[in-house]
Amino acid sequence: MKFPAYMFAFLVFPGFVFSAVAGLMAGWVDRKVTARLQWRVGPPWYQNFFDILKLLLYKETLIPRGVPKAVFLGMPALGLAAATLVSTIVLITSGMPKIGFIGDVIVVVYLMLIPPITLMLGGFASANSLASLGASREMKLMLSYELPFILALAVPIMKCGYVIRLGDIIAYQRLHGDIFASLSGGISFFVMLLCIQAKLGFVPFDMPEAETELMGGPYIEYSGKALAIFKLTKAVMTVAIPAFMIALYLGGIKLTLDGIVKAVIKYILILTAMIIIKNTNPRVRIDQAVKFFWGIVMVLAAVSLVLAFMGR
Amino acid sequence: MFSDPLPILVMAPIAAGFACIAVPDGMKGLIKLFTGIVTAACLAGSIFVFREKPAFWFYGDTAVLLADNLSGFIAIAVSAFAFLITIYSFGSVERSFGRYFGYVLMTLGASMGVIFANNLLVMLVFWGFLAAMLYLLVNLENTKEAALAGRKALIIIGGTDAVMIFGIGLIWIMTDTFSMDMIRLPLDSILTYTAYFCIVIASFAKAGAMPFHSWLPDVAESASGSVAAYLPASLDKLLGIYLLARVSFDLFITTAASNLVLLAVGAITIVLAVMMALVQHNYRKLLGYHAVSQVGYMILGIGSGTVIGIAGGLFHMLNNAIYKSCLFLTSGAVEKKAGTMDLDKLGGLAKFMPFTFLACVIASLAISGIPPFNGFVSKWMIYQGIIESASSSRLWVVWLCAAMFGSALTIASFMKLLHAAFMGRKSDNIKEIREVGPSMYIPMLTLALICIIFGIFAFSIPLPLFILPAVSGVPAFIGTWGAVLATILILVGAAAGFILYRFFGRSGLRIVDNFVGGEAPEKLSRVSGTEFYDTINDISLIGRINRAESAGNFDLYNIGMKAVNFFTIPLQRLHNGVLPTYLIWCFLGMVGMFLFLFFR
Repeated sequence: MKFPAYMFAFLVFPGFVFSAVAGLMAGWVDRKVTARLQWRVGPPWYQNFFDILKLLLYKETLIPRGVPKAVFLGMPALGLAAATLVSTIVLITSGMPKIGFIGDVIVVVYLMLIPPITLMLGGFASANSLASLGASREMKLMLSYELPFILALAVPIMKCGYVIRLGDIIAYQRLHGDIFASLSGGISFFVMLLCIQAKLGFVPFDMPEAETELMGGPYIEYSGKALAIFKLTKAVMTVAIPAFMIALYLGGIKLTLDGIVKAVIKYILILTAMIIIKNTNPRVRIDQAVKFFWGIVMVLAAVSLVLAFMGR
Repeated sequence: MFSDPLPILVMAPIAAGFACIAVPDGMKGLIKLFTGIVTAACLAGSIFVFREKPAFWFYGDTAVLLADNLSGFIAIAVSAFAFLITIYSFGSVERSFGRYFGYVLMTLGASMGVIFANNLLVMLVFWGFLAAMLYLLVNLENTKEAALAGRKALIIIGGTDAVMIFGIGLIWIMTDTFSMDMIRLPLDSILTYTAYFCIVIASFAKAGAMPFHSWLPDVAESASGSVAAYLPASLDKLLGIYLLARVSFDLFITTAASNLVLLAVGAITIVLAVMMALVQHNYRKLLGYHAVSQVGYMILGIGSGTVIGIAGGLFHMLNNAIYKSCLFLTSGAVEKKAGTMDLDKLGGLAKFMPFTFLACVIASLAISGIPPFNGFVSKWMIYQGIIESASSSRLWVVWLCAAMFGSALTIASFMKLLHAAFMGRKSDNIKEIREVGPSMYIPMLTLALICIIFGIFAFSIPLPLFILPAVSGVPAFIGTWGAVLATILILVGAAAGFILYRFFGRSGLRIVDNFVGGEAPEKLSRVSGTEFYDTINDISLIGRINRAESAGNFDLYNIGMKAVNFFTIPLQRLHNGVLPTYLIWCFLGMVGMFLFLFFR
């Protein structure tokens, strides 16, 4: 591909515009399903778009006194750029496994860390005690899910014969069937589902934001455009991370009509699973989350690894 | 004159160092100028040697000094660090100029000696000289802590030197030579394994790998920022890993078993050291534990035994020296201006020291392995090396997990550092302070810039120029990660954000007071950041490890001291200063000798 093609991929499809729109739609699904579960009607499908446009175009952007402005305003933009890069790489490679490079799985895993880091640094920069506390929880949460996440990631890598190209993992699944179908793959899929629940900051792992105690945590001082960019980052990640799971466990996206429909159905199923977990669990304390991930989830991940070693 | 550059590169800085010590402190301008010129000349000389390599210097008919691909690039790195840190020291050093700059120059010369030595005994001499220089540089601080830390470093490094002498002796027994280019021993007997690990232990102690790490955090805490950046952060890493690479690739033919030991040491070092870093309250001690933890990655890379892993390990050695010395330099700047290294008393410095903050953020992200900085590329290569070695070893998941989880923990502790020192609310201890002078921030920003350049252009500048020639074989990455493209795309995104803030929408930016639930923000207690991970510390293994570390249970020095005390304290008790007691002992001794002679 040439540079303009990369730019188009990054900015429009399947990068920023596509991922953001799809992510905001996913946000609507989330709100609608939640509302139905709570016996409410829920918002219309365009509600999230209106929310973002209102923040972007009409609302003031407030900056706390005495903070480093460049960091406070720059971090959201960097986070969104990194999130978009993740979704671009993952979506393109899912559709066209031949593109991509050796070790891109690791690159994606590390790029996925940038949005939370920018959120933390932005929160730190806002010189607000509640933001600092929330950001520190975000960091602890990251520590807790990262370990089982890596262990879960090792299962597809191992089952596909020690490859670290996302394209190779997808190609292997097209030949030999989905990783998810095997016992170890199923368990590690479940482990990763729990990890991305935390990665996306969904209840029960939303203690960094914790509206009722920290009033949004790192988001507390953010308003207007900066807040809109953070919300867009979240929307893009809501697309990118499940897409990464689909690539790892469910064979990516086949570029035929029914292949795309199947991929969308898979995405909606993952999303629904997350929404159901979200709506049936109360928020846990941060130390409970750490214990949960380093305890039972680690055990599950280890079991799936051992099963994978045994070839199951 | 340039016909024999190698001995000049070794001896000239040492001679210049003696000259500096002789000059009285009053002539500090002269000393600074002289040191600057010598280090710059050394940098130029090592670049010359690098281009002319392979270079030899014969004494009789044996090559005593030798520059090849590996030693050539390490010499450039060493002299570049010496140069940058000399520039930095112009602004940071406040007293005993002659001795400080003299020791810096002599350290440079001795390091060159270690790097270029082709004779094990020559290397050993310079290696010991370096330990003495470290001791002297740390002791320039004139505090009790510095004296203790210097002594600890000297004893641990000196003790492992003794082990290395034993290893060299074994090599001599087996090969009848000290010339490093003549030695190529397969690891096939207990004798060869012993010789190999004796030298590896010395390299571990110098680089600061566990269990020989305990001198490093103490030295980092009590030495000045520039000394910590110069020796433990950059030179000791470069030399320690250089020796490890030399013995593992050239002197010995390693086996899967010996690699397994390296991998285990690497993985344990990464995770344990970074967990200790997580709870530190001192800016520099925290960095010191990271200096230990990062060694683990290099050892993992070299221990993976795959070409890409080894290249990654060597690249990580270079990268780590860059960002770690940058971080130590920022600590020196903060100490100079804020007067303390206690993270509880710092905070909100970003506004006052923007250059220091920028350098610290970049180096923090680089050490955490965040793309597109240099630390990411080398870690990514090491991970690939580990996964490539997977088919031969089932433990690869353990090494991979240790490395990747260690890097998450690294992010965590640097988030804490950034918050406690530079962000959050300003601490009441901090008055209005200003940025340090250009001689201090230019080296920091230069190192930060190198972090970016080596990250983005890794596959066009440092890897083909320095690293890959030093590794035998071509690593197996056909595709490279498109760091340039990714960076451009991220920058495009950030620029779009800027345009959005600047030109979009109907309302601008407004400055307001902090909102903390409607309360007056200054009335509420400040969050410092040092307490961030206390909740984890209370519940888990991390806490237990940290308690064991603070009790000194991982400290070989303490353990050794206990063992020595076990024997010496009873003997000490006998020396009670009472004459009859001594007479009784003399008498008993005479009786014993008499009996011995009688019954023989």
